[in-house]
Amino acid sequence: MYRILVACRAGVGSSLILKIKMNQVIEENNLPIVIEHSNLDGVPGFNGDAIFTLSDVAQELKESYPDRYIVGIKNIIDKADLLAKMRQFLADKEQK
Amino acid sequence: MSQNMISEEAVQLNVEAKDWEDAIRKSAQPLVTLQKVKPEYIDAIILTVKETGPYFVIMEHVAMPHADSRYGVMENGFSLATLKEAVCFGHENDPVKYLICLSSVDNDQHLKNISRVAELLSDESFFKMLDETTDKEKICERINGGKEEA
Repeated sequence: MYRILVACRAGVGSSLILKIKMNQVIEENNLPIVIEHSNLDGVPGFNGDAIFTLSDVAQELKESYPDRYIVGIKNIIDKADLLAKMRQFLADKEQK
Repeated sequence: MSQNMISEEAVQLNVEAKDWEDAIRKSAQPLVTLQKVKPEYIDAIILTVKETGPYFVIMEHVAMPHADSRYGVMENGFSLATLKEAVCFGHENDPVKYLICLSSVDNDQHLKNISRVAELLSDESFFKMLDETTDKEKICERINGGKEEA
C-alpha cells in the first residue's frame, strides 16, 4: 500500500473534495493507495509516498520540497485525470 | 440530512461583479448576513488570494472561496453566486462564473455538506440548472435535498 497525502491551504474545502474523489477512483479501480488528509501544516511531517494538491499549491510545494513526489490537480472532480495521475504515480514507484 | 445546507438568502443569481475581489465580497456577503462568519473572514479570503494565489478555483469556471476557520468562523455555512459576467482570477480555470463560498467549523456536518458539494460539482445538470432558472427555492431544494448519485 502506498500513502498519499491530500492537502490544501485550509484543509476544509478543496482538498476534502479532492480526497472524496480520489477515494472513489481508488475504490473503483482497486488501486493500492491509502489517502491521508491535512492542511499545508501537515506536509513537513508527512512521511508517505506522494502529495496531491491543487495545481498552484503544487507549484509552491515543489519549490519548498524538491525531493518530494508532488502532483498538482487542475480539476478536482475529473476522475479520469485523477486515475491517470495515480496510475502514473504507481508506475513511477514500481520503477524504483 | 439533519439541517439544510443552504437557504434562499444565501443564493444570488446573475450578480454583477467588476473583478475577482468584488465577486468574492458579494458572493460571501450572505455568510456575514446569516452570521455564519464575521466580516473579517471575507478579508482573510481576499488576503490569502493576494498573498498566495487563487488556489480555490477548483475546476473550470468554478471558485470555492474559503479560508481557515480561525478567521472569524462561527458556523458551517454555504453561499452560492452566479455572475452575470464571468471574472478572471489569474488561474488556469478562468474565467469564473460560479462561486461557492464556504465556512467550516470542521465537524461531521461539514463533511456531509462537502460530500454533497462534491456530488453537485460532478453533475453537469446542476450547472445547467443554475444557468437556466431564477427560482432560488428550486436551487436550494436541489442542493439540500437530492441524494442521487453523481
